[in-house]
Amino acid sequence: MHTTLTVVLLSLIGFIAGLAIFLASKFLPKEDESLAEAAKIREFLPGADCGACGHPGCFAYAQAVTKDKSVFTRTPCPTLAQDKQGIKRLEEHLGLKAEATIGKKAVVHCTGGSHSIVAYEGLESCKAAVQLASGFNECSFACIGMGDCVTVCPTGAMTIDPERNVASVDWSTCIGCGLCVPACPQHLTELVPADMPQYLACNYLSKRDIPGRKRCPDGCLHCQICVKVSADGEVTWDEKKDLPYFDPTRSIPAPAAIEKCPRHVIKKSPAYEEPTVSPGSDSASEE
Amino acid sequence: MSNLIAIFFGMALVNNMVLAKFLGLCPFFGVSKKLSSAVSMGIAVLLVMLVASAVTWPLYHYLLIPYGAAFMRTVIFILVIASLVQIIEMTIKRTNLTLYNALGIYLPLITTNCAVLGITFINIDQAYSFIESLVAALGAGAGFTLVLIIMSGIRERLELADSPKAFRGTPIAFITAMLLGLSFLAFKGMI
Repeated sequence: MHTTLTVVLLSLIGFIAGLAIFLASKFLPKEDESLAEAAKIREFLPGADCGACGHPGCFAYAQAVTKDKSVFTRTPCPTLAQDKQGIKRLEEHLGLKAEATIGKKAVVHCTGGSHSIVAYEGLESCKAAVQLASGFNECSFACIGMGDCVTVCPTGAMTIDPERNVASVDWSTCIGCGLCVPACPQHLTELVPADMPQYLACNYLSKRDIPGRKRCPDGCLHCQICVKVSADGEVTWDEKKDLPYFDPTRSIPAPAAIEKCPRHVIKKSPAYEEPTVSPGSDSASEE
Repeated sequence: MSNLIAIFFGMALVNNMVLAKFLGLCPFFGVSKKLSSAVSMGIAVLLVMLVASAVTWPLYHYLLIPYGAAFMRTVIFILVIASLVQIIEMTIKRTNLTLYNALGIYLPLITTNCAVLGITFINIDQAYSFIESLVAALGAGAGFTLVLIIMSGIRERLELADSPKAFRGTPIAFITAMLLGLSFLAFKGMI
């Protein structure tokens, strides 16, 4: 009798549990159909979850594309854009054509101008060196030059300049995967649009500290002359960081700022093109 | 009230799930390589422990004991917890995608986690009341999360450390766990 009761009880609990799952799957709001569609799109993506597209991973990108197809036409997966056949397959699947194949490229916000003040003989890794009083350079924001970014770079676009002991990017091989961004303990690497004509080669953030000139012959002085000479707003001032800011959505060259910068720390990127005499209506209305 | 506080810290530190009771060792080594995933895993375990305790306590006291089926508790608890986690996962997946992306893959992992089953048994063996067992589950989950976070923090640094070649990877993690367990031994007898 007692055994029967136990068996019945156990079956009953099992039945109720099964029923609960059934009811839950029946009456809960339906699973987004977009999920299945996104899973299909993910099949075409590289699956590296690199985040170069600006989404937290390939699946998140697939979800964004499912929700709004124009995400693909505006910002096609930059890693896939290197692979002509791969992007063609995805284009065929979506029935769309990727318009802008402008990917992203990495830049390093440091010239390596500051000198080292102590001899470091520890582990050959930027992350390890930074643990000791923000590295061994005079400028505590400077590139360590031990090549953590070189190690993670899948294409070998990152190299360390042996003379200045600073990382530099070869834009012809950089695929804009962004793996170097979390690898840098000094937060010096950043992804910018591949048509960005210039970037700031300094990351001297500290607002209350003495300006860069004391620490580095190339350091930004925070003089803001670059903002003053750029009439079209090519350069704006990032109040939070206290550094010049180039709007990534506009990507317009700022030749005046590059020339006028007293430390020559605004560098031309490989995408820089000398602006023609009348680049558009903007300068015409200005004159 | 002081009783509840004693239970919370007792479960979190003195009788820590991982380092004193040796439960949930699988995620302790499997998901402690990165801090971010360790935090997600810890929170998911805490959540499931809480819900599992809230469901199994009335089930045991109002159904299994009156009908003399208390000896079947292992089977029944596994059944109930597994279906419960299924329902929770389904609910999260269909209502909150962001949360699902953060916790989703960890929830099915927890279904068969012995730490979750362990806390429900501890609640019953210690003869805790309903409120007490909820606090115990909260403490156990918090302790589990704490240990997972400590372990992942250490392991992230161990990746850089110059350990002997034969010890790299999991062996050094075992040694770290041993040292961590020794340090948690210091809590023994406090409560």
